[in-house]
Amino acid sequence: MSQTTPAALSPYRALDLTADLGGLTTMVLAGLGVDVIRVEPPGGHPTRRRGPMLHHDQDSSLYWAQMNAGKRSITLDFDDEADRERLRALGETADFLFESDAPGAMAARGLGYNDLRERAPQLIYVSITPFGQSGPKSLWAASDLIGHVAGGLSSLCGEPDRAPLRPSVEQACNITALNAGSAAMIALHARHLTGRGQHVDVAMQAAMANTLGNARLYYEMDGIITRRAGGARAFADRATRIIYPCADGYVAFVRVPASMPRLHRWMTAEGANPRFDDEKWANISIAGDNLPGDDEIDELESEIESFFAARGAQALYESGQQFNVMICPVNTMQDIVDSPQLAAREFFAEVDDPALGRLRVPGAPLKMSRTPWQSRPAPTPGQHQDEILVAARPGVIHGD
Amino acid sequence: MSSHDVPGAHLFDGIRIADFAWVGVGPNATMQMAFHGAEVIRVESSHRPDTFRSGGPRPAGDRSLDASAYFAKFNRGKRSVAINLAHPRGAEVARRLVATADIVTESFAPGFMQRIGLGYEEVRQIKPDVIMCSMSMEGQTGPHAKFRGFGLTLQATAGVTGVTGWPDRNPVGTGVAYTDWVATHLGIIGILAALDHRNRTGEGQYIDLSQFEASTLVLDAGVIDAANTGRVAGPLGNRDPRHAPHGVYPCADDHTGGDRWVAIAITNDDQWRRLALIIDRQDWLESDELCHAAGRLDAQDALDEGVARWTSTQTVGEVEQMLQAVGIPAHRASNVRDAHDDPQLAHRNHWWPSDHPVIGEMTYESPAWRLSDTPPPMPRRSPLLGEDSEYVYRELCGYSEDEFQQLIVDGVVE
Repeated sequence: MSQTTPAALSPYRALDLTADLGGLTTMVLAGLGVDVIRVEPPGGHPTRRRGPMLHHDQDSSLYWAQMNAGKRSITLDFDDEADRERLRALGETADFLFESDAPGAMAARGLGYNDLRERAPQLIYVSITPFGQSGPKSLWAASDLIGHVAGGLSSLCGEPDRAPLRPSVEQACNITALNAGSAAMIALHARHLTGRGQHVDVAMQAAMANTLGNARLYYEMDGIITRRAGGARAFADRATRIIYPCADGYVAFVRVPASMPRLHRWMTAEGANPRFDDEKWANISIAGDNLPGDDEIDELESEIESFFAARGAQALYESGQQFNVMICPVNTMQDIVDSPQLAAREFFAEVDDPALGRLRVPGAPLKMSRTPWQSRPAPTPGQHQDEILVAARPGVIHGD
Repeated sequence: MSSHDVPGAHLFDGIRIADFAWVGVGPNATMQMAFHGAEVIRVESSHRPDTFRSGGPRPAGDRSLDASAYFAKFNRGKRSVAINLAHPRGAEVARRLVATADIVTESFAPGFMQRIGLGYEEVRQIKPDVIMCSMSMEGQTGPHAKFRGFGLTLQATAGVTGVTGWPDRNPVGTGVAYTDWVATHLGIIGILAALDHRNRTGEGQYIDLSQFEASTLVLDAGVIDAANTGRVAGPLGNRDPRHAPHGVYPCADDHTGGDRWVAIAITNDDQWRRLALIIDRQDWLESDELCHAAGRLDAQDALDEGVARWTSTQTVGEVEQMLQAVGIPAHRASNVRDAHDDPQLAHRNHWWPSDHPVIGEMTYESPAWRLSDTPPPMPRRSPLLGEDSEYVYRELCGYSEDEFQQLIVDGVVE
């Protein structure tokens, strides 16, 4: 880029009061240039003690480093009225406030949306909770797992002979956090029109319910309850396999009709001597009603299995894609770190973390040509206390 | 005042999006802007229809490209123009449309837009302050830029599949095109950030969104851990590294078709004691080891078995009621019917009705957020393929009636 301007959202400030649910929202906004202030309790935010740790001690959280990259930090004690007042004063200088407490908990401290809207009419107040601010389940006890299953995705995920499953990284929290980012940006544009902030109510259950693909539509239209099908995509009452073991791990491959002649050419080129009828399979829709009998499907599957089993995941990716076959490796975290694609795009960045030293960190999740992503380290507790409080004197208005 | 006069209907008044994207990621992103007043024009062609137009569900026996509820779900509030981009004159029509647009979105394989003369460099010659967002699998550059995939496979590239499964079996992945619902938000956030920047500076820009890179965001600390320590997180079933018991347990039949399960997550020691009381396990209450998370994590097999023995005698509704009454995180593992009928989602009016001349009356998802002051009105139904062609060719692209008729005869408008 010959010339760059500051990050896209550099005029704006956000206060981050979230717990587990929402740290990712403000991490993305910080990367886009928002001045995000992490408001921590005295002694530091609880997720500073959440693993994985860089060293064998409880003060080297990589979770914290990842989720709080690019933020500033202040510590405030919400049991102390003077600090609550400092928070309200900060609210006057901010464009966004993000919180993830139980509905009503912030109001009980005099820090709810209604407590701040008079003094800070510009403030976009984003509440992120498992079920939303009102309704029959709004006060239900919850966690990532609970929010996850409440949206329905676990019924589509897992093996038929075992329990419904969630991914082992907290997807309900993370996808909800990204929804909150979209919502906050829409509310920012609304402020351009109305001149005022508003209350944004983001619910984890609803965010997860929006990941169901077409499965709920099949229930509404046809009464079909789609169920989990192992390493496969279930289409209503049918399923198509996705996951195949290979020599050193797994690959993902879907038997879409267009891939079948390409798979045939690829296997032929590799000397695997495919026996399946590629023209026939090119006309068999994976979710369609012209599927042949189980014996024929099993025969095809075992041919594909043997071909993959003799080769490594990355090699299958590189060679299969040359034949336009939609195949890819089931990457581990290490495969992602070692990815030649990510290396070529300079995805990883290095930052000097004030507590952990030099860290290699995931970089821009999107590349903006004029307003590039900013990779910066996470703060230590209260690292920016003085500079923030000086700037937070009432009357100093930040943003637009 | 009609419902379209609410302030939330006008947040993006005057903003036109020429939407060349298809399937899930791009269309879902632009739909959120259409809800709030952006004019989103899906550029479509019956020669290469959006995959979701051929998908399901659809009314019995109707194979037409207008009958898919799956397509309708992602395209409410939009217009549709038919432009055959493979026709030599199709690209010219597209260029005229782009000249009127504030935002251009696309998700073709990298290189296609350049081939039809609509790469970012060409587009900004036509419209200097345009915001263009490309949303491809792995980005516009790099050795894998042109590798093919879709959400079902991309989640494997992006690491989600590998951490979803039982430790003693193959990984399974989520069963849906999960990363679509991740990447779409980076699209929304990026486009709206770029639009905000343009409002302030007059500058457009190009956004190269790699669904692979965007999706690494949801891996928590998995990538940063591997990058700095070499540790590689694997699948844990439903277990959690910090909490136990933590799982999804079988329940008694509640006459809704079987396969009933309840999730229980004990996230602190108080919840643990209350659970032991409810299921009447004195031995658990008296154990010094089990009163701390570390001890419970060591005893997970036995605890899971004990919890499952109790849940199997109760229905999901009974477990939810008993445990939630004392503040223990518990919820049925909702299936699609539970989600459809869920009282909390109903309270939020989450499923929005939409009537469509081919599909009929259905409900579709709404955003996971509610805006107190600027909620959107109910969106217009999704468009038929090419439904707005005359408007786009005549009014936006400036073709005369005769020229439009000739383009139809020539096979451009299809």
